[in-house]
Amino acid sequence: MGASEAKKKVPIKEGLFKVHTDEEEGYLIGSRCKKCGEYFHPKRVVCANCYSEDMDEVALSTRGKIFTYTIARTSYPGTPLTAPFITAHVELPEKVSVISLITDIDLDKVKVGMEVELYFWKAREDGEGNEVMAYAFRPVSN
Amino acid sequence: MAEKEVVILGVGITRFGRVTGRNPVEMAREAGLMALKDAGVDFRDIQAGFCAHVNQPMGTGADCFAELGMTGIPVTNVEVACASQSRGVMLAGDMIAAGIYDMALVIGVEKMPRGMVPLGGELSDMSYAFLMGLMPFPGTYAMTAQRHMHTYGTKPEHFGRAAEKSHRNSRLNPNATYQQVYTLEEIMSSRMIADPITMYMCSANADGATATVVCSREKAKKYTTRPVLLVGWAGGTPIYEKGEPMLAEGPTELLGKKVYEMSGLGPKDVDVAQVHDAFSPGEIFAIEELGFCPKGEGGPFVWGGNTEINGKIPVNTDGGLVSCGHPIGATGGRMIAELSWQLRGMAGPRQVSGNPKVALLHNQGLGGTNVMIFKM
Ligand SMILES: [Zn+2]
Repeated sequence: MGASEAKKKVPIKEGLFKVHTDEEEGYLIGSRCKKCGEYFHPKRVVCANCYSEDMDEVALSTRGKIFTYTIARTSYPGTPLTAPFITAHVELPEKVSVISLITDIDLDKVKVGMEVELYFWKAREDGEGNEVMAYAFRPVSN
Repeated sequence: MAEKEVVILGVGITRFGRVTGRNPVEMAREAGLMALKDAGVDFRDIQAGFCAHVNQPMGTGADCFAELGMTGIPVTNVEVACASQSRGVMLAGDMIAAGIYDMALVIGVEKMPRGMVPLGGELSDMSYAFLMGLMPFPGTYAMTAQRHMHTYGTKPEHFGRAAEKSHRNSRLNPNATYQQVYTLEEIMSSRMIADPITMYMCSANADGATATVVCSREKAKKYTTRPVLLVGWAGGTPIYEKGEPMLAEGPTELLGKKVYEMSGLGPKDVDVAQVHDAFSPGEIFAIEELGFCPKGEGGPFVWGGNTEINGKIPVNTDGGLVSCGHPIGATGGRMIAELSWQLRGMAGPRQVSGNPKVALLHNQGLGGTNVMIFKM
């Protein structure tokens, strides 16, 4: 044990996303209503469209488009982000809007409609040395 | 049901801002006494109390009302974030219309925490966006502004112009936090907070209290021959729209339609308005949703001076949230006070000319939205 015990990747908040592993790609966790087909993120118990409680947990698309954004010029104390940074509503093909950090682009280059893809990054380490993971989107590379 | 007509009989307000040594109970007493005197009523005539606040401890309502008198009336605390005080007035209006009471007093009071407003709650209960610090407070306004710019070609200078007008109006209002005129250039070049919102487009944190005496029309006859009637009111929370990000804090457009229908009036009848501009883009979003100008034309409409005190539809004649400052739970009462004074011809150097007859209020926040319409 000891040094051989692998550091785990743990999400900063449970139930929102599945961090990638060697075997599997990561994704944002959503709900899909079995009755009307509406998608949600974060998960919902009651469908906001038709009020059904018959919901499936699903993996959401990992690519989307910036619906709108702003550049935060101040950071909240005790949060992992340091201003300035881009924060956006990303619209996924399932017609779900996700609030996310946008990285890997100059602040003055970000635009509404830009195609972006999901990835995960280490926000901090917890007391046991686990990597506490958050998600972000960045411009599609290809 | 034949409903009773509702009157705004008296209004009161303290100076807004960071005035050292004032505590919430003293501010509430000052605003409450002013409203009672404005109405010409005795505290013993008040049958019910509502106390709007967001950051004060439990029991604040009873403590504040005890400063004015201890007649045993029910006092209920109301919390709808930035829209708390006007919701209190709406609840009083509902009860008076239903014949439950003849007269109620609504106090809004706030002593804001110093420094960055704490978000509250356990970390595990916080949304991802708050946990990560992804939504700085102007975040929603800034993102709505960016989308507005993308969709309609609105310019940051349009938002700046709304702020410039507010700061100019507040120079005519001794109760406002800001007492200084800023040029468009100074506003645009002030510190960027969340693009396109700069520091002088943001409302200042402020302490303050407001009060409103709400009364049935029958009862009001004893006190005034020129009552300000509350002729339409509606409150709400956001509506789920398929595939739309939840940017709005409430269904302003729908609530506008409701109050226009309830009052038999339309946007063209409105002579003066107070809309929620926690950040100055808010003025542009609200005037479009309330029908004062077509969708997407709010920027050029404000730029062209249409919302000035002498414009086509004067908006935020007292400086709005941007310049008056924002004691969260009290803000709605400031809007009601200004509109009451405008309708009664008592707004002094800010008075809209031509004897305004119809006034509209739009007050919103994280807790929901209120729209009200008043008639002289
Ligand atoms: Zn459904």
